[in-house]
Amino acid sequence: MKILMVEDDATTIEYVVKGFIEQGHNIETATDGHQGLLLATSMKYDLIILDRMLPQLDGLKLLAALRATGSQTPVLILSALSHVDERVKGLRAGGDDYMTKPFAFSELLVRAEKLMQRGESQPMVTNLNVGPLGIELLTRKVTLDGQEILLQPKEFQLLKYLMEHENQVISRTLLFEAVWDYHFDPRTNVIDVHIAKLRRKFEELGHGELIETVRGAGYRLRQGH
Amino acid sequence: MKPSEGLVIAYAKGIKPYQSSAWRITIIFSALVTVIIGTLLLGMYRQLINEQEFQLDQHLNAEKTRYQQMALTLDRHSFATQVRSADPKVALIVWRNSLDLIGSLSMIPKDMPMLPEKREFPVFKGGADKLHILTGGMVMTRYGPVLVATRVDQLGTLIDKFTNAAITALMLTVVLTLALGYLFSKAILRRLVQYNRLSEQVEQGQYSTRLPVSWRQDEFDMLAQQFNRVLDTLEKNLAAVRGVTDNIAHDLRTPLSHLRIGLEQLPEKSEEELAEGCAIITEELDHCLATFDAMLSLTRIEEGQQTLELQSLSLQHICRDLFEMAEVMAEYNGQSLKLMAGEEFSVSGDKYLLFQALFNLVDNAIKYSGEGATIIISQNRNVISIQDNGPGIPAGSRDKVFERLVRLDPSRHHKGTGLGLSMVKAILSRHNAKIALMDNQPGLKVQITF
Repeated sequence: MKILMVEDDATTIEYVVKGFIEQGHNIETATDGHQGLLLATSMKYDLIILDRMLPQLDGLKLLAALRATGSQTPVLILSALSHVDERVKGLRAGGDDYMTKPFAFSELLVRAEKLMQRGESQPMVTNLNVGPLGIELLTRKVTLDGQEILLQPKEFQLLKYLMEHENQVISRTLLFEAVWDYHFDPRTNVIDVHIAKLRRKFEELGHGELIETVRGAGYRLRQGH
Repeated sequence: MKPSEGLVIAYAKGIKPYQSSAWRITIIFSALVTVIIGTLLLGMYRQLINEQEFQLDQHLNAEKTRYQQMALTLDRHSFATQVRSADPKVALIVWRNSLDLIGSLSMIPKDMPMLPEKREFPVFKGGADKLHILTGGMVMTRYGPVLVATRVDQLGTLIDKFTNAAITALMLTVVLTLALGYLFSKAILRRLVQYNRLSEQVEQGQYSTRLPVSWRQDEFDMLAQQFNRVLDTLEKNLAAVRGVTDNIAHDLRTPLSHLRIGLEQLPEKSEEELAEGCAIITEELDHCLATFDAMLSLTRIEEGQQTLELQSLSLQHICRDLFEMAEVMAEYNGQSLKLMAGEEFSVSGDKYLLFQALFNLVDNAIKYSGEGATIIISQNRNVISIQDNGPGIPAGSRDKVFERLVRLDPSRHHKGTGLGLSMVKAILSRHNAKIALMDNQPGLKVQITF
């Protein structure tokens, strides 16, 4: 996948570029608004990661100009302006997602991949399998080592999200957004409690290790070691 | 001294009464009064002259008629006697009888017009007031032309007197209004200079300064009262800010110092421990950032800088979401959470903010009511209440919990920013909702009325 990053902070660029290259993506960078707009309009990208406060041309103006050319390229806004109304402003201007700095690369990656997949025609997935774990999306049936386990609707949604992002660290914010239709930082252990319940159900069947807690980052679903 | 200070002092001390706006008004007022009085006097003067003129004409014409009548009825000799004996105070009459002039004057000036046309002419006389001004005209009688005249210099004297009196009156008006205005503006300035001096004290940091309020209740007292109210609020806010600063120092310093310790220890860690150490530091850092974000957010909501994304919300629906999200948390803590839904009600509000506020309250109930507690979320029409049967909050502390960064748990055992309830209150007040903390006997009941 080909990504364009418009960002003026060298440290952030280095951090993000390194991460995406490790994941096998192709990433180009622009360090000011004009250069960014030039690249965005002249080349074909699968995703644009856009800072808001850029030299020469403000990020939102760049976005407006890009959208005015009819470009549908997904844009992820990455900004230090963290307020809800800033977020709304960014999304209204044509952004597809909004992340605030400071951020964890793992979360950026998940969001970026989600946006990049959007354009592709998805094969109809009816089953997800990770190691001994399997779920049927249509019947909502969950099996572990062939044994069916009963999950609450929210637990099912959490597990589904984790399975869709197998081996990736998923932040609490991402999990929260995936399960609930509210966007705010709950600052509570609501996600941890749900995960703990889920994990306890796995433990009963001897698979407590499936969901791994990554301190300071979130959770990861892994195949048995 | 800063330049602005210099300016204020110059204004407070250097201003003279004649530079003040009161003085400017005085001058305008004084000029206005002078013009009005002057116009009145001028009008009176005109009236006076016209009246005199009219009287004179009347008088001369009456004399004319009288002598014409006399000439018709009397013989020549009697007419001469009448002319001679005419009272010079009433009219001066001169009759040219063939060659002689009979009457009170020794001549008749040339080119005298016939009455009612008249003309002024000077007459010299022996004595102190040698020059008299007369006005008069000729009358044709049966016995020949007769000059009828009367003195007008008394009239001149009267006009002079009137003019003098008018000028004196005008001068007095000007002097009096200016003097009063000067005193008046000086009195106003005295109060303003006092206010200035006191506000200067405030500027220099003496926030306890208050302006004096007199019994008069005039506009200056109103100003002083308003100024004092502003100072009250300012003082209260400053105290609050000081409190916040102290709490920030505590709430951010602790995780920051943990960070520092963690970072210092990193190089000594073994390969396996390194990842764990980094993760712990990241967590601490995230906590700092969350506290920082919460403070900014709270300020923005309190100051009304954040625009609400208003939409119609069902309270029943919100409560169901709350219950769904919190149920597992309560269960995890060994508590039971119940939902009691009543009659539906819709409010216009910001979905995320409102949910955040309500969730915060439920979260608090779960955190602080202890194991085995029962927490009930109930909603009926426009009232939502969250009650628990935990330890509750002592009556005296109930107002305090809404203050920024105040946490009743002194050890700060539970992880939190201490901004939660301030945020709840700010969000609810932006939605015009009221929040009340009540005794649930035992426990706490939080009631929100939309």
